[in-house]
Amino acid sequence: VTASRFWARFLLPGGLWLLLLFAVPLGLTVAVSFGTTNELGLPIYGWHPENYKHVFDPLFVPVLWRSVLYAALTTLFCLLLGYPVAYTIARFGGRWKNVLIVAVVLPFFVNYLVRTYAWVTILSDDGLLNHILGSIGLSSVRFLNTPFAVIGGLTYGYLAFMILPVYAALDRMDPALIEAGKDLYGTPSRTFWHVTWPTTFQGVLGGCVLVFLPAVGDFVSAQLLGGPNTFMVGNLIQQQFYEGQNWPFGSALTIVMMAFLMVWMVFYLRSAAQAAREAAA
Amino acid sequence: MSNDPWGRPITRRSLIQRGAGLALGASAVGGLAACGVGSQKASTQATEKVVKAQVDGNLVYFNYSEYIDPGVLKAFEKHYNVKVTQAYYDGMAGMMSKLNSGNVYDVIFPSAEYLDRLRKANRLLKIDHSQLKNVNQALEFSPYFANPWYDPGAAHSVPYTMYTTGIGWRSDKIGETLTGSWADLWNEKAKGKIFVLDDYQEALGMGNLRNGFDLNTTDSGQLSKTKQLLIGQKPLLRGYSTDTVTNMTNGSAWIHHIWNGDIVNVRNQVKNPEVFKFETAKEGIPIGSDTFAIPTNAAHPGTALLFIDWMLQPENAAKNIEYIGYPMPNKDGYSAFSALVKEEPSINVTVEQLQAANKYQFRDLPQADLQLWNDTWTAVKAA
Repeated sequence: VTASRFWARFLLPGGLWLLLLFAVPLGLTVAVSFGTTNELGLPIYGWHPENYKHVFDPLFVPVLWRSVLYAALTTLFCLLLGYPVAYTIARFGGRWKNVLIVAVVLPFFVNYLVRTYAWVTILSDDGLLNHILGSIGLSSVRFLNTPFAVIGGLTYGYLAFMILPVYAALDRMDPALIEAGKDLYGTPSRTFWHVTWPTTFQGVLGGCVLVFLPAVGDFVSAQLLGGPNTFMVGNLIQQQFYEGQNWPFGSALTIVMMAFLMVWMVFYLRSAAQAAREAAA
Repeated sequence: MSNDPWGRPITRRSLIQRGAGLALGASAVGGLAACGVGSQKASTQATEKVVKAQVDGNLVYFNYSEYIDPGVLKAFEKHYNVKVTQAYYDGMAGMMSKLNSGNVYDVIFPSAEYLDRLRKANRLLKIDHSQLKNVNQALEFSPYFANPWYDPGAAHSVPYTMYTTGIGWRSDKIGETLTGSWADLWNEKAKGKIFVLDDYQEALGMGNLRNGFDLNTTDSGQLSKTKQLLIGQKPLLRGYSTDTVTNMTNGSAWIHHIWNGDIVNVRNQVKNPEVFKFETAKEGIPIGSDTFAIPTNAAHPGTALLFIDWMLQPENAAKNIEYIGYPMPNKDGYSAFSALVKEEPSINVTVEQLQAANKYQFRDLPQADLQLWNDTWTAVKAA
C-alpha cells in the first residue's frame, strides 16, 4: 500500500457523509424542482421547466434585490463591528484571548430562533428598550417590524462568522510588521491601511462570504422581526414548502438562489487561491 | 412501498434510496417513473384498522401551541401513566407539510376543511364511537356534529372547538366602537399598528368578504381584485402574523385580524382586559370548527382514543374551554364558555351560526385552485 492510497482511505467516511447529506438532498431538490404536486400537495416528479420560468416572474424581482441589499448591509455592519472586536482581541487580548473568543462564540450555544425571539421582547413597542427610553423621558420608537430590525437581527445572528476569520488572520499576522510600519514613520491610520488591512484582507473576504451567503437565504429574522415589506427570498422559499405546498417551485427557487450564491463563492475561492499563490511566490 | 401504512407515494427511506440512485447517476427518471411517485392513492383499507381504546404507548400529540389546557394534559399523563410528546404547527399548511414529509403523530387537530381533505385522501383512521365513553357529549351537542359536511357520520373525527375570525382592538387607543366592518383593518388612526393574520385562507378570505365576493371564490378575476385590495392595505400594516396574543399584549398591535378565542387569551394575560375588544364584520366572517383525528400511520392509536375520550369528559372540557378561550361542542362542559361570553358577547360562536352560515366556512379546494390562492397570497406578501 503506497502512502497516498493509505491516506485516500480516510476520505471515505467524509466522502460518504457528503454524498448522503449533501449530494443526495441536492439531487432530490433538482429532481423536485422539475415536478408538480398532487392533490395533497405532495411533489410528483416530472418534466416541468416552467417552475424556473416562474422564478423570474417580475413579481419576485424586488424580493431578490431586497435580500441582496439586506445581506450586503448585514455584511457591512458585521465588518464594521467585527473587525475592531477581532483586532482588539488579537492585539490586546493577552492571556484572555481564548476566553474572549469563547465569549464571542457563546451565544451560538443558544438556538438562533430563540435568540431572535429574545429580540422581539427587547424591541417591541412596550418592550425593554422602549421602557428604557421612556424612563429617560424619550418617546417610544418603533423598532420592531422594520427593515432595521431585520438587518439588525441578521447582523446579530452572523457577527461571529465575521469575527472568527478576521481574528484568525490578525492572530497569524506578525506584529513586527506593524512595528516596521511605524518605524518607517507611518501614522497609525497609514500603518493600518498599508500594512494591517492588506495582510488580513483574505480573512475579511472569508468573513464576508461566511456572513453574506447565509444572510441572503435567511428567513427567521424577516419572519420574526420584519414588517409587511421585508419579505426576503428565504421567506419566499419557506412559504412554498410550508403554507404554499408547492415544493417544486420552492425547489426551483432554491436552485436558482444557490446558483447565484455560487458565483460569489467562486469569486472568493479564486481570490483566495491567487492570494495563496502570491504568498508562495 | 406497499408496506407503507400511509400508502404514501414517498417515504423518507425510499426517498433516500431513490435520491442515492439519482446522485450516483443511475437511471433516475426511469426509476422514479417505475415507482409511480405521486400516482398512488392510499386505500380505504388503511383507514379501517380496528383500534381499542387502551394504552398502546406514549402519545405523540400535534396541535397549535397554547391550544389545550396543560393541566388537563398533565392529568391525562398521570391517570394513564403515559407520556405526551407535544409537537406544534402554526397553521394547517404547516400541519400538512409535516404529515406529508412522513412525520408520525397519534392525534392531530385539523380544521373542518383540512379534515375533509385528509379524509378524502384516506389518511385518517375511522373512529369507532363505541370506544369513546363520552363521544355523545360532542355528537349529541347538535345534529350538526353528528353528521358534519366535512365527515359524514363523524366517522373519522370528533369535533374539538368552534371559532370565528374577526377584529380585535384596543379601545384605549382607538375608541370604544369601530364600524363593524372589515374596513376597520384599514383604520388610518391605527396606521402602523394593524396586523393581518399571516394565513393565506384568513387573509384572502377577509379580502374576499370585504370585496363582497364569496369567501371561497376561485375566480381568478375576483382573486386578483382581492390581491390589489390587500396590497393597497400594506402601507397601513405593521405586519402579517399569527402571533396574535404576543402582538396584542406587547403593544405592537392596536387592531388585529384575530380569532375570537385569542382575544380571551389576550384578556387573560393583561392588567387591563377591558380595553381589549372584539368585533365581527357585517360583510360576514369566517366561521369554522376544529376536530380531533388520528392519522392512519399513528403508532399509538389506542392511547389517542383514550386521549380524545379524556378531553370529552365534561369537567375536562370545561377546564379546557376556560384555558383556551374557545367553545368545545360539549353538552355538559359548554357552560364554561357561556360564562366567558357573558363578559364579552362578541366572542360568542354558536352551532346555529355554523349551520346557517354554510358559505362562511372555508372549503377544501382542488389543488389547482389552492395553487391559485397560494400564488395570490405570495404575490401580496412579495409586493
